Amino acid sequence: MVTATSISKAQVLEALEGVKDPEIPAVSVLDLGIVEKIQIDGVRVAITCLPTFVGCPALDMIREDIESALAEIGATAEVNFVFRPPWTSDRISEEGKRKLLEYGLAPPPAGNTVALTLMAPGKCPYCGSADTILESPFGPTACRATCYCRSCRNPFEQFKQI
Amino acid sequence: MPSDAKGLSSLLLAVADDELIIGHRHSEWTGWAPHIEEDIAFSSIAQDEIGHANLFYKLLSEVDGRTPDEIALGRQRGEYRHAIVCERPNGDWAYTLARHFLYDSAEQVRLEAFAESSHSPLSDVSEKLLREERYHRFHAEAWLERLANGPVEGRHQISAALISAMRDAVGLFEPIEDEEVALADKVMPNTSEELLQKWLTEVTKRIESAGIVLDLASKDGAELLPTSSGELPQPLEDTTQPASISYRDGRWVLDGTLSGFGGRRGAHSEDFTALWDDLTRTYREAPAATW
Repeated sequence: MVTATSISKAQVLEALEGVKDPEIPAVSVLDLGIVEKIQIDGVRVAITCLPTFVGCPALDMIREDIESALAEIGATAEVNFVFRPPWTSDRISEEGKRKLLEYGLAPPPAGNTVALTLMAPGKCPYCGSADTILESPFGPTACRATCYCRSCRNPFEQFKQI
Repeated sequence: MPSDAKGLSSLLLAVADDELIIGHRHSEWTGWAPHIEEDIAFSSIAQDEIGHANLFYKLLSEVDGRTPDEIALGRQRGEYRHAIVCERPNGDWAYTLARHFLYDSAEQVRLEAFAESSHSPLSDVSEKLLREERYHRFHAEAWLERLANGPVEGRHQISAALISAMRDAVGLFEPIEDEEVALADKVMPNTSEELLQKWLTEVTKRIESAGIVLDLASKDGAELLPTSSGELPQPLEDTTQPASISYRDGRWVLDGTLSGFGGRRGAHSEDFTALWDDLTRTYREAPAATW
């Protein structure tokens, strides 16, 4: 804990980069596009976030993690979740999509074309083949679908398009 | 509570209770579904619906002062306002899927309406939830088509289940308490009757396009096709009820006493007794517990 009288935006962003999704530790809240707005007033930082999936139990953990990451740099965070604009998977940055892929999760395809996506889940994160099928639109967490690669015969998961 | 929030509170409570109770029923498949993908699917849908219930209770909490947990778990049985279809036991796999299809189609219809609500917290969340709900509908519709186009046994079971579930599911559009206030405030942009008409038109169209012919007015209702051995399957259950749903003179008409009404006034079936006991037990024993 450091004592500060004012906090810069760069410091806040650096702290937020360290706040990972509790269920997908490869990506930060910034990579996911969850952070909508940052307002700094001295050491008080108001952060407006957009929930990914409403029923996601990780949201409360994310709030607490943001608060403690900001406390580390001497700031007091006030985290607020709002629903407008709705969070969509298009808010995940290119960097975030690359990190998802490296982690073993197929990133969501761009746009808002769920029906199409469900038939063609995208490239296998292990071998890169496009010969993949959707096993189920549901998976171990609210944001993941279960897929199968017919080429390397591995099951894999995809971050859902939403 | 300010009197002008009466309609809003009533609307939020009905929707939140629907989500909580159907979510609870879906969660009962955890560990028991016919195969692992479906176990995960119903567990995941349950998690979504209970999360949505929590969100609606939070919106209600902002106008009524009680905490979301107090509202969700701290009420007596007769104070719940969900539709009776939500509390029905899961029954068999066919009934589960039929209700899932009818419920999630109904959710789509009402969330589209609520997206136009004058209460902006409600319109904002409705738009968000519609995106999530597409996956529920995709799942339900895929099952409907799979069973409709599969062996005759499954086709017959889903047909019978749809008739049985439909007679309850119309209760999702039973008018809410203080509906006239909710309408006057434009918190609720459409009447329950308008939403019922829209929903019945959409679900019957979808069922027909899957190739299932339902006669909602008759005793047996579903068409009977011979099995591969040439015999007619036995009807699975007696669905006789002195009630019918029919399309006459350009609109849907409900006749007789349909089993699904009463929930919006707190008049629940016996099926809710054990569910309520199970759902609220921990809270009743330790209201201050956090988990």
